[in-house]
Amino acid sequence: MPVDTESRGFSVVDSESGKPIELAMQELQLQGKLLSVGARLMVRHVFRSCERKPLEVIYTFALPRDAALRQFVVAGESFRMRSKLKSTEEAVKEYEEGIQQGHLATLARQYGDGLVSLTLGNLMPGETVVVLLEVLAGVEAHDDGIRFRFPFTLAPSYHRQARAVEVEPGVGEIELPENEFGDLILPHYHKDAAGLHEVGFSLSIAMAQPITEISSPSHSVRVKTGDGENSHVMLSTGHDVPNRDLVLDVATRISQSYVLAGMGKDEKTRFAAVVPSHAFGETSAAPRRVVFVLDRSGSMGGIAIEQARKALAACLGALAEDDEFGIIAFDDRVEEFGSGLHKGDKASRDKAQRFLESVDARGGTELAAAVSAAVKVLGGTAGDVLIMTDGQVAGTENILSVARAGGVRLHCLGIGSASQDRFLTLLARETGGVCRFLTSRERIDLPAVELFASLGRPVASEVKARVEGVATWSIAPDPASAIFAGTPLTLFGEREAGMARLVIEWSKPQPGKLEVAMDAVQAGVGETLRLLQGSRLISDLDAKYTGDQSDRALDRREQQRVGDRLQALSEAYGLASRRMSLVAVVERAGETGELPKTVVVPVGMPQDLAMQAYFRRSTGAAHATGAYPAPIQPAMAAPMPSSAPSNPLHDLLVTSQSAVTRASRAVLSAMRPKPAAVAPDRQEEGAPEDALLDLARQLESDGGMPGKGDFERMVRSLVAVLAFLIEGHTSSTGAFRAHVQRLMHFLETSKFPASSAQHREGLSAALAWIEQGNKPNWPLSELLAWNVDEAWKRIMQIVAGGA
Amino acid sequence: MAKKSSKDRKSLADLARESSLPARTIRYYIARGILPPPLVGGRDAWYGPEHAERLERIRALQASGLTLAQIAWQLADKGGEENLPEASTWWNYTIADDVVVQVRSQMRPWRLKRVRRLISQMAAELKAAEAEEESHAR
Repeated sequence: MPVDTESRGFSVVDSESGKPIELAMQELQLQGKLLSVGARLMVRHVFRSCERKPLEVIYTFALPRDAALRQFVVAGESFRMRSKLKSTEEAVKEYEEGIQQGHLATLARQYGDGLVSLTLGNLMPGETVVVLLEVLAGVEAHDDGIRFRFPFTLAPSYHRQARAVEVEPGVGEIELPENEFGDLILPHYHKDAAGLHEVGFSLSIAMAQPITEISSPSHSVRVKTGDGENSHVMLSTGHDVPNRDLVLDVATRISQSYVLAGMGKDEKTRFAAVVPSHAFGETSAAPRRVVFVLDRSGSMGGIAIEQARKALAACLGALAEDDEFGIIAFDDRVEEFGSGLHKGDKASRDKAQRFLESVDARGGTELAAAVSAAVKVLGGTAGDVLIMTDGQVAGTENILSVARAGGVRLHCLGIGSASQDRFLTLLARETGGVCRFLTSRERIDLPAVELFASLGRPVASEVKARVEGVATWSIAPDPASAIFAGTPLTLFGEREAGMARLVIEWSKPQPGKLEVAMDAVQAGVGETLRLLQGSRLISDLDAKYTGDQSDRALDRREQQRVGDRLQALSEAYGLASRRMSLVAVVERAGETGELPKTVVVPVGMPQDLAMQAYFRRSTGAAHATGAYPAPIQPAMAAPMPSSAPSNPLHDLLVTSQSAVTRASRAVLSAMRPKPAAVAPDRQEEGAPEDALLDLARQLESDGGMPGKGDFERMVRSLVAVLAFLIEGHTSSTGAFRAHVQRLMHFLETSKFPASSAQHREGLSAALAWIEQGNKPNWPLSELLAWNVDEAWKRIMQIVAGGA
Repeated sequence: MAKKSSKDRKSLADLARESSLPARTIRYYIARGILPPPLVGGRDAWYGPEHAERLERIRALQASGLTLAQIAWQLADKGGEENLPEASTWWNYTIADDVVVQVRSQMRPWRLKRVRRLISQMAAELKAAEAEEESHAR
């Protein structure tokens, strides 16, 4: 038996299987700069071979939203080479010839769904090679800051023809159909990511407005504060594991409209303009036609489905009687609540609530079928669809095609620790909606209510933009067709030098116009703006490219045209796409024509996602005895522990997930009605938001709170308004603004004939007090604990100027 | 053992073209142990009809819904020729009509240089011995 005399000491082992993990990629570090309109990133990959033969290493990753690859530099002990941008066909040929000749070849190639394979061929035994990859990416823009997401792992995705199996305990393998995804090779997914490559980040931040807060719901961060608009953020621990996206929130002061501008390398003035939603005016109060689409696939199991159900219940509470709604729950089957649209009255909402309680996570993710069903529910006329999903689905270009053809506006609320942010952003944008993406450990219900508040009521639509004052200018892509509260309009363009202004006009809900000065030009930002515009344009067009393999000649010709435009855009901006790839071949002297051993860099299963959601144990002969087959890769001759070591991080995560799930169940349980109190289903020790969600859920179809008579309804509605005000939600701001509007409308217009004149006068005084901008400073829990009489007494006291 | 004819010998590029599979995928199959390594290693590595047949087989098994790991288990279950160990490649140095020296291909360059010098010496000594034998025979 051969003895390996070169391996000594300890090796990294998988805690699930106890098997050694031989890493071909040891480290991934994210560096670069975040702006308010996008990010320019450098991703540093460190490859090192511990094998005794040459390696070909494949690292597959997902692009962030609106992202494109610009270039890479491959460097080793005695070489450093920059990549060239070539047609994918030429790049693959050059790579293969390089491998054949024994040279070090590197290829970065993009596939469908925004997946990229970075392949490094002929990494020699003991050699270390660094690949520094430049990526341009978009950000989720808010009126008061940005959210930035970067995928450190890759979520497994549902596809009807995908083949998936758990190859050994805690390790999943998934393969997508060749006819759609070509030679894309997906990594193995490790339930325990602790032994995989290290990840880290260090990013500078330059915003146009003063920064008020930098935080991350995904990682522990350290922030170095600079001047008002600049800062620096990095991972506070030395390194982390690849089992979730990096999510960074940068909050700024609410902005006024502004333009970033600078000179590009092509000597043209490049600009990006940001116009916050409040600059467009108020929303209309027109009745809404909304279909809620709830992803109930297996990957939504656990807290995600519970959160989504709760969020949907709160959205139902904000429906007015003249609103119409439908609900669709889908996995690999589509289930509809009733048939068609329902009035937003109490009876329908109660029935919908019962329907939601029966929805559990199971099965696959046939999102295209769900979108088609939602379009059908809206009856072929305009309306809005709110999709709550983790978006973990493959073949997204086809789903986008179905969505575009539907003619309705899709809004997406993404949930998950590994990003499908790119897809959901495209899905919303291509249909005129907005997208928010949350990690599975954040509250989903409040952002859902916030998103719902603006649904069907854009602050502006039919938006047009132009530059005045100079003869030559362009804006691309076209402005968003509709602007919603909370999300600014962002524009990219170029113009000739000179005094200029940006003019934006819109025709609905009321015609409006605004102008923004464009005179200031900053140094060093022009080329970045040019590249961000290019990456956005390429990302949009890539989403329309399904390849030219269709059976129909018409489709093939159309796809050929899209492909040609994609190639032209890539060449114009110097950015990769599905048609253009990056390649570099470092020549090596000597006879080294050895066939390299191909290895794929494994990734961590996304945090909070159960292996069973995608991978089932094989039913093959090797599993009949409960044993797994021998490892495919040879084991190192290092000492092996007799059993898998315990993993404190894993234990902690499991514990915290269970705790969150328990807490969430407690909240749901606490929502059961207890009629004696003013806020009968308040949660004794829950977060204030839970209490507000409970109140929101109880709204009657006339906008008031339930109660036994006029007086009780009046007092409970008043208490609900004050509760929202205490927590910062008014009729114009905050996630519950739609609820406050409805409550105020109920209190202002109801006659309350059965209550006394004294009570009606008291109500008028209270409403006038609220209209003046007053609110009590009582603790929320105290307010909600009072019975009706006590609450009325306290309210009258404070309105009269008492405590 | 039947000798391979030159038309049975395919380069990786030929095999990729004929099977409509990218070369990278074929290398990955070899690394996963579901396709045999090339019949001769080094820059002039070549593949035989059995490789094309195996690729067809893999394709059929994939179409039946199996992943590569399951295919590897299925092929391993058959035993015998189907039970593929990890691939390794060797260089053949024919130093006489009846003597072939095999050298494992993934050798460090300095060691390979030394081994080649020894093989050259051996080849030279064998040649000298043959010449001597011939002269004795005359």
